[in-house]
Amino acid sequence: MTNSPAAFTEETVDIAGISVQLRSGGSGEPLLVLHGELGVPDWLEAHELLARHYSVCVPSLPGFGTSSFPDWLMSVRDLSAWVNWFVRECGLATPLNVVGFSMGGWIAAELATTNSALFSKMVLVGAAGLKPREGEIWDYFLNSAKDAFQQSFHDHESAQYLKYYGRDWTPDEAEQVETNREAAIRYLWRPYMHSVTLPDLLPAIATPTLLVWGRQDGIVPISSCELYQQGIANAQVAVMEDCGHMPEMEKPEEFANTVLGFLKG
Amino acid sequence: MFIGHFTEEPWQVPDWPDEWGTGIHKVSNAEYDPYRAANLYNRYLDEKIYAEEVGFDGLMVNEHHSAPFCMNGVANVQASILARITTKVKILLLGNILPIHDDPLWLAEQLAMIDVISRGRLIPGIVRGSGGESISHNIPPHYNRERFEEAHDFLIKTWTTPGPFRWEGKHFHYRYVNPWAVPYHKPHPPIWVPGTSSRETVEWCARHRYPYVMLSTQLELTREMFKIYYETAEEEGYEAGPQHMGYMFFVHVEETKARAMEVGRTLTQGVRSPFDPGVQRPIPWIMSPPGLNSRKAVALRRQMTAPDATGKTRAGALASFEDQVATRGMIVGTPEQCVEDIRYIMDYLRPGIIIFRTGDGAMDHESQMRTLKLMGEEVLPAMRDIAKELGLPGPYEVDPATNEPVTALAS
Repeated sequence: MTNSPAAFTEETVDIAGISVQLRSGGSGEPLLVLHGELGVPDWLEAHELLARHYSVCVPSLPGFGTSSFPDWLMSVRDLSAWVNWFVRECGLATPLNVVGFSMGGWIAAELATTNSALFSKMVLVGAAGLKPREGEIWDYFLNSAKDAFQQSFHDHESAQYLKYYGRDWTPDEAEQVETNREAAIRYLWRPYMHSVTLPDLLPAIATPTLLVWGRQDGIVPISSCELYQQGIANAQVAVMEDCGHMPEMEKPEEFANTVLGFLKG
Repeated sequence: MFIGHFTEEPWQVPDWPDEWGTGIHKVSNAEYDPYRAANLYNRYLDEKIYAEEVGFDGLMVNEHHSAPFCMNGVANVQASILARITTKVKILLLGNILPIHDDPLWLAEQLAMIDVISRGRLIPGIVRGSGGESISHNIPPHYNRERFEEAHDFLIKTWTTPGPFRWEGKHFHYRYVNPWAVPYHKPHPPIWVPGTSSRETVEWCARHRYPYVMLSTQLELTREMFKIYYETAEEEGYEAGPQHMGYMFFVHVEETKARAMEVGRTLTQGVRSPFDPGVQRPIPWIMSPPGLNSRKAVALRRQMTAPDATGKTRAGALASFEDQVATRGMIVGTPEQCVEDIRYIMDYLRPGIIIFRTGDGAMDHESQMRTLKLMGEEVLPAMRDIAKELGLPGPYEVDPATNEPVTALAS
């Protein structure tokens, strides 16, 4: 646990055709963070821990946070194309490391199937994108926004769950959650949170990959982790015990250590 | 004056558990008993045939999905049957849920066939539908309005432009639009649109000069929505009139007030529509998924249906049967009493279209037939006289598209 003040900047920048809410901090080689379908509420403790070693860049993806949302973005493939554009316009040196959470993991995997020179190493965390072999991806849109966060955490007493989600939201926070849901629904509606072609493209990935999964992931079943592992050559797996769909928020330290171990190894 | 008949055609069963409520997105279709359903579907059709016989101008049919409160999952099936078993009544669809159709060409051809078989009696109304319909058919709710508008434009073009032609839109794509069947009614069948309290919809409707039918809404709110129609029409450069305004409300008529209150109460019992007063609203994130309505529309609707200073919601969300009767949300009484209340509504709202919602909820067949008979004998003729007196032409007297008198041939 860090007690140092969060050394990060938050700004709004015009990049790759949209107005992007961009949080960044740290120094060194760039590390791109692609958030999941619920957006990212803050510069998180996990970002801070990673920023001690890397220059961490966390854009709010189009439609999420306060980033703008042009009509042309209609699918995760469109989003992947946008991320590629974003990386280039940001001037981030490539290949670069990437950590993608849930939908963000799916985006990273899509990019890695089309361009093996973009990422040096890739970490997929509870990644969506594949139809699970067992179980189903939890339905965000048959459930309330509150339920989604509850379902995403195994431990409802964990500090960041209580800090961000397990309490009454301010009107602004509730509006932001709805904005994020409006973005997610456009990218993920059907086929629901998966691609029918990605399984066949996974063998095209040459990027060294770590799959991180919470054993109790209540959103994307752990059977999807096995499918990613089978599809991506030499993919490593780190299963976090007593942990749900958001290891970065539920167990930030263990999560950061796992990621750093892989990136530096 | 155009007077229509409507029932939601609810599932009726004596032992429906209270906790199942409207049943929408809650109850498995393992509860659907085809033998009971066969009786109910045929009962509702019998009532429609009788409604034509007693003098209604139109039979309104709607559809909902995964919804026991409305057995009609496919309005066009019932419309097809009515096209053949009725002879003069208009078949009013309110309506097809345009955004949930992935193939609007198929819809265009179905509707054209119904219009032709009925010899031009179809009114193919269109709706956006609630979130539940999008979820049942896995249609993106966030493109609901775009799909509604594009499908509408496509239907009109398909009905009015000789094929073949190509359609390359955002949501629908065809390389060969050339359905063999085209509508009987020229230039195309009249489109009506129902509403509850969406400002965006009433404005859209007014811009297209389509009759707008408010469904079981509180009187004051209804008048406000009509006002938006009139204002939008003015902006568009034409004068709206009764031929553009429709209103649906519950009616039950009996020989005595006491009997009417006793039997009319069954309208508020049984498996009911979640949109009705007094019914527990269904799950909000299913009825209104992210993106189904714009934030502006959601805020406006909240404002329009907010409780007044006394805490009563204008939509009457928790109104009792007695409250609804007292506020003319439900017209229940003897023929004379009903006519008096209906005259008040006609004078207050000045609609050219009135639709009786009747035989609904837990009401039995005999009661519905009894009330239809009284409506035909006493209520409808009186309403026609009142409409003349107040100057309330319906859309088959004054054409909403032109404001010109409708000729016998065109109607």
